[in-house]
Amino acid sequence: MIETLKKTAQAAVAALQDAGADKTQANVSYTVTHEFNVDGGEFSLFRTLFDKQLAMTAIEGGKKGTVAQNRYDEKTIAESAKACLEAAASAQPDENWDFAPVSQNEDFVLGQVKPDTDRLFFRCQELMASVKERFPKIIMEQMIVAHKEICKAQANSYGVLFSTHEGCYEVQLMFSGHDGDKASSFFGSGVIADSLDRPFLEMGSLAEDLENVQKQIETTGVSGKFEGTMVVMPGCLGSLFYSLLSDFAGEGGLLSGTSPWKDKLGEKVADERITISLAPLDERIVCGNRTTGEGFRAEDFDIIQNGKLNAFYLGLYASNKLKLPRGKNDSFNVIVAPGDKPIADIIASIDKGILVGRFSGGQPASNGDFSGVAKNSFLIENGKIGRALSETMVSGNMADMLNRLRAISTEQVADGMTVLPYMAFDGITISGK
Amino acid sequence: MIQDLLTNKKYLFASGANTELRAQRNMNRRAVLLNGALVGNVRTEQFGVSARVYENGVYGFSSTAEYTDETVKDVLKAASENAAFLAKHAGKGKGPHKAMAPNRIVTAYDLTDVEQRTYIEFAQALDNYIAGKYPDLVSRTVVVMGDSMEKLLCVSNGCDGHSILPRSYIYVMMTAMGADGKPVELYKVVGGGYGTFDQNYSKPEDCFDEIDGLYDRIQQKAKDGVYPDAGNKTVILGGILSGMLAHEAVGHTVEADLVIGGSVAGPCLHKRVGSDLVNLVDYAHTAFGKPTPLPIYVDDEGTAATDAVLIRDGILVGYMNSRESAERFSMAPTGNARAFLFSDEPLIRMRNTAVLPGTSKLEDMIASIDDGYYLLDTNNGQADTTGEFMFGVTFGYEIKKGKLARPLLDTTISGVAFDMLKTVDMISDEMIWASSGMCGKKQPMPVGMGGPAIKCRVTIGGR
Repeated sequence: MIETLKKTAQAAVAALQDAGADKTQANVSYTVTHEFNVDGGEFSLFRTLFDKQLAMTAIEGGKKGTVAQNRYDEKTIAESAKACLEAAASAQPDENWDFAPVSQNEDFVLGQVKPDTDRLFFRCQELMASVKERFPKIIMEQMIVAHKEICKAQANSYGVLFSTHEGCYEVQLMFSGHDGDKASSFFGSGVIADSLDRPFLEMGSLAEDLENVQKQIETTGVSGKFEGTMVVMPGCLGSLFYSLLSDFAGEGGLLSGTSPWKDKLGEKVADERITISLAPLDERIVCGNRTTGEGFRAEDFDIIQNGKLNAFYLGLYASNKLKLPRGKNDSFNVIVAPGDKPIADIIASIDKGILVGRFSGGQPASNGDFSGVAKNSFLIENGKIGRALSETMVSGNMADMLNRLRAISTEQVADGMTVLPYMAFDGITISGK
Repeated sequence: MIQDLLTNKKYLFASGANTELRAQRNMNRRAVLLNGALVGNVRTEQFGVSARVYENGVYGFSSTAEYTDETVKDVLKAASENAAFLAKHAGKGKGPHKAMAPNRIVTAYDLTDVEQRTYIEFAQALDNYIAGKYPDLVSRTVVVMGDSMEKLLCVSNGCDGHSILPRSYIYVMMTAMGADGKPVELYKVVGGGYGTFDQNYSKPEDCFDEIDGLYDRIQQKAKDGVYPDAGNKTVILGGILSGMLAHEAVGHTVEADLVIGGSVAGPCLHKRVGSDLVNLVDYAHTAFGKPTPLPIYVDDEGTAATDAVLIRDGILVGYMNSRESAERFSMAPTGNARAFLFSDEPLIRMRNTAVLPGTSKLEDMIASIDDGYYLLDTNNGQADTTGEFMFGVTFGYEIKKGKLARPLLDTTISGVAFDMLKTVDMISDEMIWASSGMCGKKQPMPVGMGGPAIKCRVTIGGR
């Protein structure tokens, strides 16, 4: 299959060149998915999916067009090449579009490429039984457990030719706690794994998340408004940092000129204890990308290194346009370096604050202002985790927050996609009704 | 249009099981200009066939991107084997779904596949207008797009169908420098709705008034915007926000699969969840004598689509169902089981969900508030199965002594839907529909939502 895909990618590149393009790229993939679904606590669906994808991009005279579809027979490639050139012809020229130059081509094999379906189903049954036994107040609204085998090839007109054959298991849970008519907020938790050697409940933060949600059936609000410490749980940190890095260090904020960090490369933007990396090659990341969408070999890199803005998260186009170095990968496999205190000690040091499991907020403004509801959260008072909260809002500014770090935990949670600790920030506005 | 390779495979459907075959094509065309640079120029298409088989209370499903006589047979066989596997290990001892009268509903027609050049040139014309007239903006983005979803459905029990759902929209985003030196943003969907791009937009000049209106709002926000005072306040939610309330905070909690999963609507059926003024319906294809923004005539299980009445005079009276959940709750299925791609199984989804208009005039509603807010635009909304919701608010006004006062900077509102709806004491007689977004629930899905202005109490975030 891999050899067929490589030839298909090269054929698509050649078809684009034959149609008149200067620079061309093709990405081809074939994916087989085996997936079990649980709904309302009961098995509901078993599905197998066979999908193809072909994306062809042409640059002609600085004009770029992309056509994507899920077929890659000869006729489709020929028609797509024509459509791609037509799309490019209508664009305005921009000399900054380009693809990766050839380096050392390679064939990558990652993870568990073929599924063990019977064992996968056993692990699903085991997970359902364990949740029922250990967390009796949990209703599993939805559980999706899948194995994905992906064969993909990437070629461009400079001679780049990569292939990847990978396979991994994905677990996504959506659940809530119930006691009579009382219910917690729902919560989503997941992991990606490359083997079935361990029960799912031992992976990532699944067990801790289930336990926390079971404690959130009885909730109360906070009174009034106060400034306190916000401790962000690992599962919540990823979504907060996604907004932060996209708006401040990503293409959107930099191309539009709205990023507060646009002139701060090499300068201090955060507490010196903070190091944030994008690291698809880290051994704790499962099937991280080995190449970028533009045909570069992926490398790990730090966006923030000991508080300094070390790099932006830019693709080749934005890099050329802004005359800034490109990001060395285009994954979002975030790793935040651990701190020097256990989470228990961090909590013990806080007089008044909030432990946040999920942030339900509006899109943070480009200036970093955020405001939203603290879901699946607990009050922290006098160094102890207290009652679960409802209808409690938190607000602040992300740029300010990074400079108001109280502590980072020694513990990290690795869920196959990210490796994140607990982080505590001071000066957050916390308000109730 | 999709060739029918399905109907002649009905002889392969197993007796005693429910079987669905669906061939589907999704198309998306998009041009994106950021500060005049074409950063997006993409045409995508996803096409294939799937089969789903219901046996002993569980489903088997399979799909493939190839659409031939042989692959139709292959996915049918694979779906049957998957159903048998799960039925053997986790069957529920149930028979097939209740029989429905056979029918065939055809609404598909040949679409114009608008050339990419049209999208790009339209976007450039709008961008040139904005850049020339409003050079003080920090940033501008113009997105011009069209998408469509064609489905050919063949079922063992119920309605076969052939449908098409085209949409097209223009999104304009502006960023201006605020008085405090921090950027402020606003976006607007300019025109659009059901139909292909050439049906919805004839010339760029027709969009200029709406673009001018957006610039006027962002200037108000940038120059005079203030943060609201945090706390529980009396507000008027404009139609965009009340539509979002109908969808996010109420609609999701009354999707029957989420009810089974433990949503707040479970124990609330036939109980009061809002004031007498509150009525909420998920419309199928016709509302108030007109086509809905995204009309659905048959769902992907072969149920002819009808309206789902959810709240009547403040009482929760129903859920949105699949055929399986309808049987569980002894309700009539209303055609809410929808799939996004050929490779997706049908899930319970909303169609066109709306708070119904009342009898009040908006000016009277504003005049009735001594100290509160009129909230108009949003960029984001999320809700919980408990009904607790959060909406980002990107534009609005203070209301002081019955009159509109200063514009608002970005804020957030929150509340618990079935508590908040009980505080509704005025509803305007005009409503607004929106249909440009995607709902996310395992799969994305285009949905319509709408509402009038409603006066109620919510918690507003302040800063």
